[in-house]
Amino acid sequence: MNNLKLIWWLALKDLKIEYRSRQAFLTTLFFAVLILIIFNFAFDPGSNATREASPGILWVALLFPGIIQLNRSFQSEVEEGTLQGIVLSPVDRGVFFLGKFMANWLFLVAIDLLILAAFIVFFNFALSGGLLWVLFLMILVGIGFTAVGTVFAAMVSNIRIREVLLPILLFPIIVPIILAAVNGTREVLIHNDFSTLYRWMQLLIAFDVIFLAAGFVVFDYVVGE
Amino acid sequence: MANPSTPLVRLSGLTKKFGAVTAVRNLNFQIHQGDFVAIFGPNGAGKTTLLKMVAGLTSPTSGQVIFGGDRAAAARAETGYVSHQTLLYNELTGRENLLFYARLYGLEGTPDLVDSMLARVGLADARHMMVRGFSRGMKQRLTLARALLHEPRLLLLDEPYTGLDQHGSRLLTRLLGTLREERRTVLMITHNLAEGLELSTRLMILHRGRLAHQARQEELTRSQLENLYFEIVER
Repeated sequence: MNNLKLIWWLALKDLKIEYRSRQAFLTTLFFAVLILIIFNFAFDPGSNATREASPGILWVALLFPGIIQLNRSFQSEVEEGTLQGIVLSPVDRGVFFLGKFMANWLFLVAIDLLILAAFIVFFNFALSGGLLWVLFLMILVGIGFTAVGTVFAAMVSNIRIREVLLPILLFPIIVPIILAAVNGTREVLIHNDFSTLYRWMQLLIAFDVIFLAAGFVVFDYVVGE
Repeated sequence: MANPSTPLVRLSGLTKKFGAVTAVRNLNFQIHQGDFVAIFGPNGAGKTTLLKMVAGLTSPTSGQVIFGGDRAAAARAETGYVSHQTLLYNELTGRENLLFYARLYGLEGTPDLVDSMLARVGLADARHMMVRGFSRGMKQRLTLARALLHEPRLLLLDEPYTGLDQHGSRLLTRLLGTLREERRTVLMITHNLAEGLELSTRLMILHRGRLAHQARQEELTRSQLENLYFEIVER
């Protein structure tokens, strides 16, 4: 119970700081909307080929800007030395990981909702039941993406080229969830076929469980010294 | 009640190497309950590395830090640390910063404790102000409040006077003087020989990673300390 409260307080602190500065929120949202606008102008939104490719466009817009928030979440801790303050406290580093993960994940889900709304407008999708499943996929993909991203963001936080290094480390690891997300979205949004969705869901849930557990265990070594 | 003859912290053969560079060489000394130890030394003498090892932030290459029978890393809750950085969140108020740290340390009666600590360091009126609006002196006092919040048995101060104006220095000296009167155990690194001599009960001079000299405060006058210091660092 105490650890659950600690996780919440750690996350709340990050969310409060982001709410007040809005640095990552505005840049992430701007970047994502820019991606959608570029694809919207580059392809004819009414064509079948664009509709087939739209799930890929959606997930590029959802995940690539997420890197900005992951980098920010540790950059600010390193700049003021507050990471040292947390590491010096008796808080279990696994709990610290879960607090950071929770803040990053809530941030990602909040921003993804806005990006999804923009995507629906730009690519002329009607509101349908399939969108609810896309929301569900967003939640599951967000967990895996944030779990891996939080560990790597902490690892590179002291490196000068962290902005470049983080996506290079992160994206190869999350290829399975990107594939599941794009294919799952195509099934429910374009083909209206739910028969294979559960397989992609299974893959996402397995990925989430494995990488959340791995992050919890390895975070002690990641922020140790 | 701790036995006064039992050291609170014992450094045994403490050495730290960064590649080919040896920052700290075979340090052996003890700190007892109530000691206020001032460590002087030029830049690159290994002072900050030493403090980081005592805090458990860096592991020694060889030797060990024994904290009341435990390894220092296991005694994080017993140590308060003031480093070059404030370890404070600029986008939170002074009160929110202390509340956050109090929760990390699992402290009871957190809001009252935080308010009394803010009053103690003279920041009660500024408690709802964002830290980004604080002066350097106010930040330093809040940093000290953060480090003292959980009543640590050992307080580690790394050049706490850095960047302070005369008024800020005077306020800090007054606060640290109170800690000495309360017989808190403090290990302070400073370049300021006068302040260090005034506050401490023991003095150490670190040079090229080695403990070049140590004395009790009453054994040296200010001019003797200055002569000794420059003699050692100019060798």
